Amino acid sequence: MTTSPREFDVCIVGSGAGAGPVALTLSQAGYDVCVLEKGGWYHETDFFKDEQLPRHNAFQSQLENERHVLVEPDGEGGWNESTTDQFWGGNIVGGASNFMSGYFHRLKPEDFRLLSTFGPIEGATVADWPIEYDDLEPYYTKVESIVGVSGKIVKHPNLEPRSTPDYPFPPTREHPIAARFDQACNKLGLHPLPMARAILSRPHNGRNACEYSGYCGSYGCHSGAKGSARAALLNTALASGHCTLIDHAKVYRINTNPKGNGESVDYFDTQGASHTIRAKIIVVACYAIESVRLLLSSPGPRHPEGIGNRHRQIGKNLHCCAGGTGHGVFDLSRLAPAEASALRTLGPFFNRALQDWYFIDDRKLAPRRIKGGTIDFVFDPPSPTSEANALKWDNGKLLWGTPLKKRLKSHFTQSKNFKFEVFCDWLTNDDCFVTLDTQEKDKWGSPVARVQVGYHPHDLKVGQYLIDRGVEVMRAMGADRAWGNVYSQPTSNLIAGGLRFGHDPKTSALDADCRVHGVDNIFVTDGSFMPNGGSVTPTFTIYANAFRVADIIRRQLA
Amino acid sequence: MAVLGQLPSLKPVTAGTEQKTGSAIPPVKFSKQQRATLDAVQMQLFPDDGDGPSARDLNALRYLEWALDDPDNRADGDPEFIIKGIGWLEDLAQTTFGERFSGLSRTQQQRLLTQTADSEAGSNWLSLLIYYLLEALLLDPLYGGNPNQIGWKWLGHQPGFPRPTPGHEFRRYIT
Repeated sequence: MTTSPREFDVCIVGSGAGAGPVALTLSQAGYDVCVLEKGGWYHETDFFKDEQLPRHNAFQSQLENERHVLVEPDGEGGWNESTTDQFWGGNIVGGASNFMSGYFHRLKPEDFRLLSTFGPIEGATVADWPIEYDDLEPYYTKVESIVGVSGKIVKHPNLEPRSTPDYPFPPTREHPIAARFDQACNKLGLHPLPMARAILSRPHNGRNACEYSGYCGSYGCHSGAKGSARAALLNTALASGHCTLIDHAKVYRINTNPKGNGESVDYFDTQGASHTIRAKIIVVACYAIESVRLLLSSPGPRHPEGIGNRHRQIGKNLHCCAGGTGHGVFDLSRLAPAEASALRTLGPFFNRALQDWYFIDDRKLAPRRIKGGTIDFVFDPPSPTSEANALKWDNGKLLWGTPLKKRLKSHFTQSKNFKFEVFCDWLTNDDCFVTLDTQEKDKWGSPVARVQVGYHPHDLKVGQYLIDRGVEVMRAMGADRAWGNVYSQPTSNLIAGGLRFGHDPKTSALDADCRVHGVDNIFVTDGSFMPNGGSVTPTFTIYANAFRVADIIRRQLA
Repeated sequence: MAVLGQLPSLKPVTAGTEQKTGSAIPPVKFSKQQRATLDAVQMQLFPDDGDGPSARDLNALRYLEWALDDPDNRADGDPEFIIKGIGWLEDLAQTTFGERFSGLSRTQQQRLLTQTADSEAGSNWLSLLIYYLLEALLLDPLYGGNPNQIGWKWLGHQPGFPRPTPGHEFRRYIT
């Protein structure tokens, strides 16, 4: 069953961080925008702090409907194929930004020219960006005020240039551990930084300030303080009267005309009926892996191998986030009661970061200056049943009865675990890419994405270096136990690339405006444009770039 | 798989069945005898030892029955695996003591559980029962365990807010 096509100026596939800025900018400029989202439409009142929601992958595509075929290194030089892991971020209006922690670091000028600054690395496909930091700077500033970024600028050697002196919102409330952290870092000669967050510290544009429940990250935000694309951008776009949002709309094809330009988008509704949206501009922003899948699933007269795939660049140069995590555990029974009670506080944020090793000039690690990364000091979103379950194993032996109960009680009442996360570049390489799987189809009959996630050994070296620094800081803070682990496995929630932007159609998928090479009116605005992720979470940069591309589209429509 | 800034999902792979659609598998109901065995095992795994709630205080058996009805847990093959394990344990109780597990002394029960934990399958079975016990200890009382927040109070755990309310169980948000 089909219905007659509806017409819009702009049709956006996806409703997350790459979609929100485009929907907002163009609808406020008076253009009719249609946003198509595969997932459901939920609101602040739906976001309970229920551990079962993240544990059961609520608000995500379910494996029985569609999977990713993941091909991961097996640790012995070969590959493991898995269809039970999944890379979905959040299939819901607002996308994965509903479930981000919102650590908002900008990229630095050098991130835009890794190749020319640091030179090539054998086995990696590093490239300079076709734009400079200065091109994006105004848009970072725009995100800070529109999405709402809270924080405080502290001068440090690796601070990127800014056009404004500080963030528009003061920092969110801090946990007492932050003072201990600052002291330890000052002693070590480091530069402790308050971390900027996409979390409102005071009300803004109909959204409440943070209520400090202590359940952030994977939990949807009940107050509206978290700057998700839904809360911060789409609600305003809808209020303009020029934005139509259709949820439970599974887009399966983009149709192109004989000239190769985009004409319309086809989607299935929940009943399986197909609908068509015709638009002058088509914007693809449905998460790096899925945006690649959609372009590859949409062959047309001028695009026999999928849209823009003449030079086989669609799906190449995917990247995750390299790094790892570490912990510092404090034995509260050894501290003065007031101190122990302060460290038990739940609610305010740790909110500290170190960028002293964003660039590393250490001959013990490398013969020349290399790119390093960021260490964020954070709290994990609470997950008490996960924590408890990890305690049932003691050196491979299963505990139960009174020994298990004693261990649980000691862990929950006498210790406090502080965490750090290391973010470094996941070097792009020819073993990290997305294609269409030749065997498996989703429940709508389209081939699922096949994602190979090979990493470059250089990443582990840099990651370990930063992990070691994080552990040193935890020890200097007085942690009774401190340790960390570097990841070689992909970070399933921080995937970008796959549709690299660049000047040369032979080595990139999009042009500098994030338009598909060789096509006039199909743009990609999610994280897939990024040649590298920077050594930070990419959401801030995705937002900024989407605002940049929205201005380009506005000029093209005018 | 690694995750930064978010929760890892943590279900241990114990039963190891292939991926199925949970809703296609019929729910499993325990017999009276199976319930008696599970209750006795749970009271060994989480005893009334004078510090904190016991398995019965946590409504752990009723919680287990509820949890095993969940499509995700059914798709993992947990109901079949738990019933299979009850069979092993009862066989062991019969051959060792000539008696049902629930009729044995505390010491005899402990001995059989220690013996069960020695095999990989036996250890996986106990681990899965503990997994659900700890859910009954720490999940929101909305799901049937942790009555009156007895588990949270014992461990000094502070729940987030707003807490889930009847009619807003997590299943409602899985599409």
